[in-house]
Amino acid sequence: MSRGLTRFRYLLGEAVDNVRVNRTTAFLALATTTFTMLGMGVFLLLYLNVQDALGSLREEIKVIVYLRDATSPKEIAQLQGELSGDPAVAAVEFVSREQALATFRAQFPSEERLLNGLGDNPFPASLVVKVGPAYRSSEQVGALVQSLRARAEAEEVLYSQDWIENLAVAVRYLRVLGVGIGVVLAASMVTILANTIKLTLYARREEIAILKLIGATTGFIKMPFVLEGALLGGVGALCSLFLLRVLFGLAESKLALKGTFWGVGHGLAFLPDRVTVAFLLLGVMLGCLGSMVSLVQFRDARG
Amino acid sequence: MIEFFHVSKAYNGRPALQDVSLTIEKGEFVFLTGASGAGKTTLLRLIFRGDAPDEGQILVNNLNLLHVKKSAVPFLRRTMGFVFQDFRLLPKKTVFENVALALKVSGVPEGVLRVKTTETLGAVGLGHKLHALPLTLSAGEQQRVCLARAIVNDPQILLADEPTGNLDAELSGEILDLMKAVNARGTTVLLATHNRDLLHRLRRRVVRLEQGRVVEDGCPEA
Repeated sequence: MSRGLTRFRYLLGEAVDNVRVNRTTAFLALATTTFTMLGMGVFLLLYLNVQDALGSLREEIKVIVYLRDATSPKEIAQLQGELSGDPAVAAVEFVSREQALATFRAQFPSEERLLNGLGDNPFPASLVVKVGPAYRSSEQVGALVQSLRARAEAEEVLYSQDWIENLAVAVRYLRVLGVGIGVVLAASMVTILANTIKLTLYARREEIAILKLIGATTGFIKMPFVLEGALLGGVGALCSLFLLRVLFGLAESKLALKGTFWGVGHGLAFLPDRVTVAFLLLGVMLGCLGSMVSLVQFRDARG
Repeated sequence: MIEFFHVSKAYNGRPALQDVSLTIEKGEFVFLTGASGAGKTTLLRLIFRGDAPDEGQILVNNLNLLHVKKSAVPFLRRTMGFVFQDFRLLPKKTVFENVALALKVSGVPEGVLRVKTTETLGAVGLGHKLHALPLTLSAGEQQRVCLARAIVNDPQILLADEPTGNLDAELSGEILDLMKAVNARGTTVLLATHNRDLLHRLRRRVVRLEQGRVVEDGCPEA
């Protein structure tokens, strides 16, 4: 076995011993870490799902150009051709007056009587313009709408972006709030772990003094405590992920959230694999940070 | 091997060592004696760089300790072994683990570590107690574990601070014999004690301190 591996095995064993020495404190720290990270996980899950929903809604951004009745088929075809060539436009679909009437009848069969007093067909023909992915900002959609409104063929131009943008602003606030809460939770987790490890350091101060005398380097002395923090942080993150998955399952089944979410064509999703791994690493890193804070404060651990 | 040049050290304004100049040659066995508070422990602490002198210079193996960086101190200490009155063993580790720790911190490979630790514990008469915990051993046995830990990495210098302070006369004699054997292998031994019996048992150089000053330095006459 290589020297490095032997040493690492020893240091890891010492870290596990540290946890054993302060069993009760370590358990409390682990429980606190678990619930702190669970809080972060809930926010992360909520944020990612809302963000995902927003992305889906953005894909649906459409501008509807209602055409004047006097517009000839040739003019319509020409406008459709021009729009198809516009890089901001992903697709253009022509909806004739007959199609609009048929769609209304299909969607609102009980409202047939409304049409009776409005002549043969009150619906105008329209062009449904789907905006390209790279042109979905407020400014870009606004510019497209302006240019369409200036067209003589256009009676009216409507688009669905406003409320989507409002949602985007809400998501931005949610992100800021999430980051703020995350920072507070992370800071409290680091503080709790730092205090736990400080207790271990005090419990092992005699041992540290002996290690220093027999020529242990500062790294050798400190490493078990850093690993202890990493272990508590990592296991705490793992437990919190488990609880999060359980809660997520409960939410799915009890609230019947499967199917669609806010009208978007897919249900809630759990954290993606890479986010799960990053979440675990975050736990490990915060644990290490907690250890380092305690080691900086504990003078005796210095070489 | 160890040289003190006009070394002084005070703690909270109270002098612990005053203008001490001293040379200890390689392979010497030196008793450091004097009443409690005479400065024996301070002198040992300065040698392993547990403290730095307020004045003067200390050379160990021609290395000026004033110029040794903090990061190099562990490597300096690996050339030394330490024996204490209160043994300073780790109570939750076995005898074997306590001794092996001195090799582990130096990154000695597992195989070598096992052989050397077992051999050393055998040499101090504890080959049959490898897996015992220190607190299940007698005081004499605990001190032998401490000695084994001090010599397992073949140190150039052995520093012992009142190693027989907690032992009766018979056990003290055993420990002294073991230290004599270590010295016979070429290790320089510096033994701080106020036990006069030890000085009579082994006629070697005696450095006597009084209120932080060297007041006597020489080999007692037979």
